[in-house]
Amino acid sequence: MERDNDFNDNELNLDVSIDQEIEKMPRRFQRRRPRQLVPDYVDWKDVDYLRRFIPERGKIMPRRISGVTAKDQRRLAQAIKRARTMALLPFVAD
Amino acid sequence: MANRVYEMMYIAAPETTDEDITKINDAIGSLVEKDGGTVAVMEGWGRRRLAYPINKKTEGFYVLLEIEGSGQEIAELERRFRVNDTVLRYITVRVDEDRKAADKKLAKRDKRKNRNGSKSAFGGSNEAETDDAFEA
Repeated sequence: MERDNDFNDNELNLDVSIDQEIEKMPRRFQRRRPRQLVPDYVDWKDVDYLRRFIPERGKIMPRRISGVTAKDQRRLAQAIKRARTMALLPFVAD
Repeated sequence: MANRVYEMMYIAAPETTDEDITKINDAIGSLVEKDGGTVAVMEGWGRRRLAYPINKKTEGFYVLLEIEGSGQEIAELERRFRVNDTVLRYITVRVDEDRKAADKKLAKRDKRKNRNGSKSAFGGSNEAETDDAFEA
């Protein structure tokens, strides 16, 4: 797959393309997206933003795929979990 | 006492009437003021679909509050939310510290941008961000 460009923002079908990629070449991980900018304050109420980090299945996107820093990943995860308790985001989606 | 800022949100059952919600909100307001706090924001999000069913309900009324105070009023509010059957779910998040941290980061980035001078707004902020990451 080409790098970056088709990854830029809010692609919800992200994990699909990754799955296909893995099928084609097993054991090769999708290249990390370039450093993602995460706002200084990650708002758990901003569902539209958080949705970028949850692919179809509803899981939190691992940072080896999203390319966010460890610190940002922690803040994102916290926000997503808060949104989940308030039923703004699903725990599992199917 | 240093004032703290809390964000609170609750979900009321879908069959709750508007009057009931205003009644709850009024009660919250007076309760908070009794303990010396203030309700900074009270925002109804209206009826929303829940991402998953809670107590077999698929919709709910969302209300967002922002409360400034010592923390005493929060404890009492939470107790009432727990007892109240119309409240399906609530959450309290203390936001003052995270916001302060975010402001600080922003200020730092602005300073850096000014020092770099002639850069375009976008390029400048981008670079600052990268630098921060290396320092951290």
